[in-house]
Amino acid sequence: MTPLLDIENLTVHYGAIQAVRNLSLQVEEGEVVTLIGANGAGKTTTLRAVSRLVRPRGGRILFAGRDITRAAPDEVVRLGIAQSPEGRQVLARQSVQDNLELGAYTRRDRASVRRDIAEMYGRFPRLGERRGQLAGTLSGGEQQMLAIARALMSRPRLLLLDEPSLGLAPLIVREIFDIIAQLNAQGVTILLVEQNARLAMGRSHRTYVLEAGQMTFHGQSAALLTDERVLQAYLGG
Amino acid sequence: MELSQLVQNLLNGLAIGSVYAIFALGYTLVFSILGIINFAHGAVFTLGAYFTYTLVVGQFENNGLLRGVNLFPQGSPFAGSPWTFALATLIGAVVAGLIAVLIERLAFRPMRARGAEPLLALVSSLGVALVIVNLIQLLVGAEIYNFPANAYGEVRPALSFQLGERVVIIRTVQLIIFAVSLVMLAVLGYVIGRTRVGKALRAVAESPGTASLLGISVDRFILITFFLSGVLGGLAGTLVGTAFGVAGPYFGVTYGLKGLAVIVLGGLGSIPGAVVGGLVIGLAEAFVPGDYSAYKDAVAFALLFAILLVRPQGLLGRTQIQKV
Repeated sequence: MTPLLDIENLTVHYGAIQAVRNLSLQVEEGEVVTLIGANGAGKTTTLRAVSRLVRPRGGRILFAGRDITRAAPDEVVRLGIAQSPEGRQVLARQSVQDNLELGAYTRRDRASVRRDIAEMYGRFPRLGERRGQLAGTLSGGEQQMLAIARALMSRPRLLLLDEPSLGLAPLIVREIFDIIAQLNAQGVTILLVEQNARLAMGRSHRTYVLEAGQMTFHGQSAALLTDERVLQAYLGG
Repeated sequence: MELSQLVQNLLNGLAIGSVYAIFALGYTLVFSILGIINFAHGAVFTLGAYFTYTLVVGQFENNGLLRGVNLFPQGSPFAGSPWTFALATLIGAVVAGLIAVLIERLAFRPMRARGAEPLLALVSSLGVALVIVNLIQLLVGAEIYNFPANAYGEVRPALSFQLGERVVIIRTVQLIIFAVSLVMLAVLGYVIGRTRVGKALRAVAESPGTASLLGISVDRFILITFFLSGVLGGLAGTLVGTAFGVAGPYFGVTYGLKGLAVIVLGGLGSIPGAVVGGLVIGLAEAFVPGDYSAYKDAVAFALLFAILLVRPQGLLGRTQIQKV
């Protein structure tokens, strides 16, 4: 079976700095896959390369068997990849409702977009209560939910989540990971970048460990959770 | 000041101020998307006026390569009625919009693609402005072209009414300028505030990266922005040209500087700011007594200076704009 996302020998440079080196990873349809690694290991860069926000120096990115290495960023969204970026990046000067509508920018079926927005308000009641509010006035947790809901509005097959727990209270982090599990149960494939390695690995099928732009090892999350190397480096011994 | 004089100045100020506003909005649109002042905007203003003039008159009698050319030997189909004149104005504005798109492709996009400093794009837009100004001079000479009096048919040149002891005069062209500007502002406000395109445009302005992630093609919206900006500039050029004559290839340079004063006064990147700034400067100029009218521009810039001392971010500007 072709993997839903297939990254082959990806290399990305920022100027003279090599952010990602020869990285290969696969995400199968229906999986939750976690990328962990220290700051600067190249996790975010990898997601940005998939969303085509950075231009790879080398390698290929295939989505459902199709080469998207040179695709335009909006084409990638149209093909079914959505990202909730690091730091949430809600459109602070637009309302919650407008953020969600813009999440569905690539869709033409307005009636079903409206239905999906109503469904998001059902799933995230606090967004529903604040639908007319400017997104910049939401709390961190609410903004994170908005960023995820907005990404879902394009009805993606693959959802890229960059640090969804960053800066949030533990209770809200748990809530967000519950939502991730629900989404996955509904058939959304997820590639997750997380600092909170233990939590992310506990909630994902497989994990890739990145170090200085390279993949050091990967495997079933459950197995890696007891792996000596991972324990020492990322799970605080 | 007498009441009639006050009303007269107010009307004059609103008419010219509203055209400053739509012209300055062209700067604002590009600035809010790219964070760059497009110095070629004044040249687009000039071109808009010349395009409309070309359609309505069809020949250039002064020095220049186009001397003696007559586009419409049977007389221009655009002259002689308000509606055909309006059509010519519209075409002039749309062509100016397309020129602005071309400017984006030639002067801005290549810089962006190479990740150049925003300041360099500013310099390249200045270069484009010089090329356009010189091209106009080469083609039609440096003289002033006035629209013929009957260009828009038999329309009353002015309305007047008695107020106190004096007569207040409103030129028809002033009314048109004011009405057209208001319509443009309303349309633009609706498009940007309410439509899907407008929301996407604001998303690109706020964060191009995030907009990309939502499937919004940033390059396409930059083109749309330049088109709208060019239409506004070209339209403003025609309106001013109709009222005061098309004052040579450097026509747009003076207005270009004034437009800059307007957006800085109103607050860089703020759409309501451009409108308020335009009206304030227009009104301030209108209240300069006739004997001192040579100092109009000085008044505009003195006002700018004074307001910036008190509000460095401009009248309606957000504080702390980090863009160039």
